[in-house]
Amino acid sequence: MGDIQWLEWAFQTAVAFAGVISFAVLFSAPKEQYIWAGITGAVAWMVYLLAGHMGASFWVASFFSTMVLTALSRVFAIWRRTPITIFLICGIFPLVPGAGIYYTAYYLINGDMNMAGIKGMETLKIAVAIALGIVVVLSLPQRIFRLKK
Amino acid sequence: MAQEKTVDLREQEEIWENANPESPLELSVLAGEILLYNGAEIFRVQETMERIAKAYRMDSFHVYVISNGIFACGTENGVVHTAEIRAVSLAPTHLGRIAAVNQLSREIEEGKYTVPQAFQRLEEIKALPFASKWFRLLACAVGSAGFCYLLGGTLWDSFASFFTGLLLYLFLLMKGTQKLSKIMTNILGSGLVTLCSVLLYMLGIGHHIDHMVIGSIIPLVPGVAFTTSIRDFFNGDYVSGAIRLIDALLIAACIALGVGFVLRTASAWFGVVL
Repeated sequence: MGDIQWLEWAFQTAVAFAGVISFAVLFSAPKEQYIWAGITGAVAWMVYLLAGHMGASFWVASFFSTMVLTALSRVFAIWRRTPITIFLICGIFPLVPGAGIYYTAYYLINGDMNMAGIKGMETLKIAVAIALGIVVVLSLPQRIFRLKK
Repeated sequence: MAQEKTVDLREQEEIWENANPESPLELSVLAGEILLYNGAEIFRVQETMERIAKAYRMDSFHVYVISNGIFACGTENGVVHTAEIRAVSLAPTHLGRIAAVNQLSREIEEGKYTVPQAFQRLEEIKALPFASKWFRLLACAVGSAGFCYLLGGTLWDSFASFFTGLLLYLFLLMKGTQKLSKIMTNILGSGLVTLCSVLLYMLGIGHHIDHMVIGSIIPLVPGVAFTTSIRDFFNGDYVSGAIRLIDALLIAACIALGVGFVLRTASAWFGVVL
């Protein structure tokens, strides 16, 4: 049971890696940064899964994984001497609440205003959690993210 | 609306044809324009422009940047010059160009470029191509399939998402040749992928319509606008942050509209239970 779950998680992380690299291609990121963008996204997804597994609700999980994503983006940005935007924008895609948009629309057209409101609020909560995660880590001083040579 | 933008662009081209290749002020504005146009955050645009002006020892330099305009003013050889530029913002993001300008500004600071050389390099950066069409098409399909799986879909759902993602990007590429507003692009794009997902679902490829649609709308979801908006707010650029936030909300609403409309029509006409 435990083994199967680890396998599933490893597979998901690999899929996140490939998915984030696809977005790096779509946004014409420099080729030499593809792998690093992929790693930031994959690690963020791993944190999301772990947080969910430990019983965190989805917006708490989004908050923590965005924090890890932003921190890793800052480390890579300094190390690879390139704007942080490249890693942050590509890596954020597994976390953006695409599902929330879908379910809100779905319940709206079915006239289920109650559920539509709930799903709409969930989408907003995730968006706020992501925003907070980015802001908290951006506020930390730069020297923390410099790798020692 | 679209026409107005083309006029602006042409005006810009003329300005750059008449640009003085010795002027650090104009160099810095061109660098700023490329950054802004390709989706950099306000803070970076401003900082890069100031760095360039400082590296070429301009006597004074001031710049104000918002998400669709740059206002710069500087003193060269004791004469005050002003420059204004209107950039067409909220265009497709090109991260490679942002990275290249960033690299160039660093090299300018190290004194590796004269002003005309830097101008030439900026023109090269401005013309950096997007990744090839086939590569982007494949990337969009793989991205859709991948996110479909991550967000709870089965392998069959991902398989279906692969094709809807492919189709979505074909649509986006074709729309590039036509003038279509951003609002219509997002409504039609999300409608299209929803319709295809419904058809594939009825054919028995893919078993969860929700995961299939969610995976394929991910390339449209305003992740970039949202992230940049947060960073602009964080740096105190409230006007630009607000503009990008509205952009993000608008796109999200358009996607919801496209998906909702097609789902409703499909369940009414085809009688599928979704």
